[in-house]
Amino acid sequence: MFKIKFFFQQSWLLIVASFFFGLLIAVANAAWQGKILQNEEDKFNNLAGEMLPEAASFETALEEVEVDLGKGKQKAITIKKAVADDGRCVGWAFKCEGSGFADKIKLVLAVDAGFEKLKGFGVLASNETPGFGDQIKLPFYRNQFIGAPAEKLVLSKTGDSEKVDSEIVAISGATISSEAVVHIVNTFLPQIKNQIQTKGLVGNDG
Amino acid sequence: MTDKSTVPAGLYKDTLLAGLWRENPVFRLLLGMCPTLAVTAAVKPAFTMGCCVIFVLLCSNIVVSLMRNLLKPHLRILMFTLTIAAFVTIADLFLKAFQPMMSEVLGPYVPLIIVNCIIICRAEACASKNGLIVSIVDAVGMGIGFTLSLCVLASVRELLSTGAIFEVQILSLLKEGGWFVPWAAMSMPVGAFITLGLLLGLVNLVSKKGQLKG
Repeated sequence: MFKIKFFFQQSWLLIVASFFFGLLIAVANAAWQGKILQNEEDKFNNLAGEMLPEAASFETALEEVEVDLGKGKQKAITIKKAVADDGRCVGWAFKCEGSGFADKIKLVLAVDAGFEKLKGFGVLASNETPGFGDQIKLPFYRNQFIGAPAEKLVLSKTGDSEKVDSEIVAISGATISSEAVVHIVNTFLPQIKNQIQTKGLVGNDG
Repeated sequence: MTDKSTVPAGLYKDTLLAGLWRENPVFRLLLGMCPTLAVTAAVKPAFTMGCCVIFVLLCSNIVVSLMRNLLKPHLRILMFTLTIAAFVTIADLFLKAFQPMMSEVLGPYVPLIIVNCIIICRAEACASKNGLIVSIVDAVGMGIGFTLSLCVLASVRELLSTGAIFEVQILSLLKEGGWFVPWAAMSMPVGAFITLGLLLGLVNLVSKKGQLKG
């Protein structure tokens, strides 16, 4: 009994403060959570919309799709279907991520309706080195993915960056960042393609 | 402890000005070096970080000052950390909701304000020993001093790495027909260390000259 009394005498302020601050954070979270989720949604839609200009809206096609990242790690993602004004499916878009040179790189990957060709990628978040790794955001590198086959991509240090094929030419001075993007695409694309095909969604215009 | 009846003349002014120069957290006390080096590649993120630190410093100083008489000595650091963590979480949520771009640019450095030495230092050295008004004035002075230091450092780095300050082009770039060749290194960690070192040297030089004159 004495020990319990001593405990409360010593720590009542900590307990009250924990409760008060917890409540304060809960109120702030409740007030702003909707706005935070909307910001994330808007950013995804803007990036995916740039790559799939025909899309009028993005609908959730599959939720909680498990992607094996290797080394026993899994990532659950949502696959969105790009729908045109007339209701046609004009492509697919999903978030994917992997380790870059400095930090995690988060991308939005867009694929055509038949899941045969890439429509490109957009950078959701990246802390790659300014002037070097952050060039993954620039057209020279990004354009190489537009129209590339939706299959395993290969990174090469030299080659024709204008040619649209599965060979991606690395950014000079930013090989690790270039490799990271190709690795992310190679990790997510085949598994998502497999899931989409398994569910019979490819080619479904409805 | 300071209360209204025993406030020495000029205390508030001295407390406010201490953070700006005499006890400037960055250039004199060398506190908060993590954000100083990490988010000063451009002025906008540096200014946003400064505003977040002012908010957290102000709120934590107010709370610590109000509960200073209730604090148990062995639990005080725990209470400071709890208080600071709560306000940092609120600042982080606010940025994510209303400044999503800045939130992404600052990345983990906003949550890392929790371990920023300036805030815990002011809670321990000032707010836990002084009244509410002195604690508020101290938080404002230290916060503004920290923000100005970050902005000065960021201005030099942004100008030399992009030719702009606050995204306003000052120097005409060579690739746009001008003369200035951006120094990419200034936006990288090496640029942060070099600029900080040079500014610290400059501040020391000015202080020494001031002492000699005094």
